[in-house]
Amino acid sequence: MSCSQYDWKAYALGEMTASERNVAEGHAATCAACREELAGLRLTLDAMSTLREEEVPRRIAFVSDKVFEPRWWQRPAQWMTSPTFAAAMVIAAAILVHAFARPGTDPAAIEAQVNSAVTKAVVVIEARHEQEAAEWNAAYTLLNKQFLQVYRQTSGLALQ
Amino acid sequence: MWSDFLRLRGVFTNGAEELIFREVEDLDLIAKAKRGDVEAYNLLVSRWEKRVFNYLLRLVANREDAMDVSQDVFLKAYQNLPKLEDPARFTGWLFRIAHNEAFSLLRKKRPESELAGEPRPVATSGKMLPIELSLTVESALARLSDEQREAVLLKVYQGFKFEEMAEVLGCPVSTVKSRLYTALDLLRATLAPATLSDDFAR
Repeated sequence: MSCSQYDWKAYALGEMTASERNVAEGHAATCAACREELAGLRLTLDAMSTLREEEVPRRIAFVSDKVFEPRWWQRPAQWMTSPTFAAAMVIAAAILVHAFARPGTDPAAIEAQVNSAVTKAVVVIEARHEQEAAEWNAAYTLLNKQFLQVYRQTSGLALQ
Repeated sequence: MWSDFLRLRGVFTNGAEELIFREVEDLDLIAKAKRGDVEAYNLLVSRWEKRVFNYLLRLVANREDAMDVSQDVFLKAYQNLPKLEDPARFTGWLFRIAHNEAFSLLRKKRPESELAGEPRPVATSGKMLPIELSLTVESALARLSDEQREAVLLKVYQGFKFEEMAEVLGCPVSTVKSRLYTALDLLRATLAPATLSDDFAR
């Protein structure tokens, strides 16, 4: 047992004043029990210092990041004055005027018109995709043939 | 003779001189951030995230939780920064937020962790390799109560003074000391068996 008037944990944890330290060290020089107490504390703290500090796995999202910005509906003053909002208003007005100016338009006719436009667009895109695929295929076949020729030449194999 | 104890300022903190420069720069950043300078606050985050994360990692003992709580801490700190009256107390104030966030998580998770049962005992016979030793330390820390572990983390790894710890934890210095001293006794029983202390006791 160490002497109870000396707070060796406070000593080991750096919580003593310089004069308290001097007194405590003076005592430890003559007291085996207190030296043992200190040695145990030192071993404990030395062992604890082997625990490594770890890196932060991902960066902390900063307050300037988008996630912390108020959403568009949370800042009406800003979006109502924005050019995008003004443009949207103009387009909305144009659609309304257009709708009321031509009251007799048949919805079925519009649908048919839209459908034929979509079909046409799909045909064009599909044709383009097919052409691209064919070009790729031709390029690949050519490259493969050239590679085989070079390979046979360099590895000394006779061509059939 | 034992003067190397005195360099103890926290295992995870740097030398004293570096700390002084750091504090001066932090004060400047805090003043700017209080005036609404977001860049200054971002810089503060990058300077403190590692310490806060490591404190939370050891306290809540789960990497994802520690990351989520760290994120909350820095968001809360940003929101409450105008209320921080004395910028010199920023560190304690930041860790107080971290302490509150961590314990609200631990309280939520406690019933679950109690079901997990007692962690396995650790063998500590003979000399150990550093990696074994650090695993033993990790396991010994995990066996402390949340409050005891936190006291050790703040003192030994983060280098806080008793008075600063009392502020972070919102309790008297006597409570801080009692938690810390009990924790040290428990850790010592695992980490410093009597057989190893012979050469130091001479």
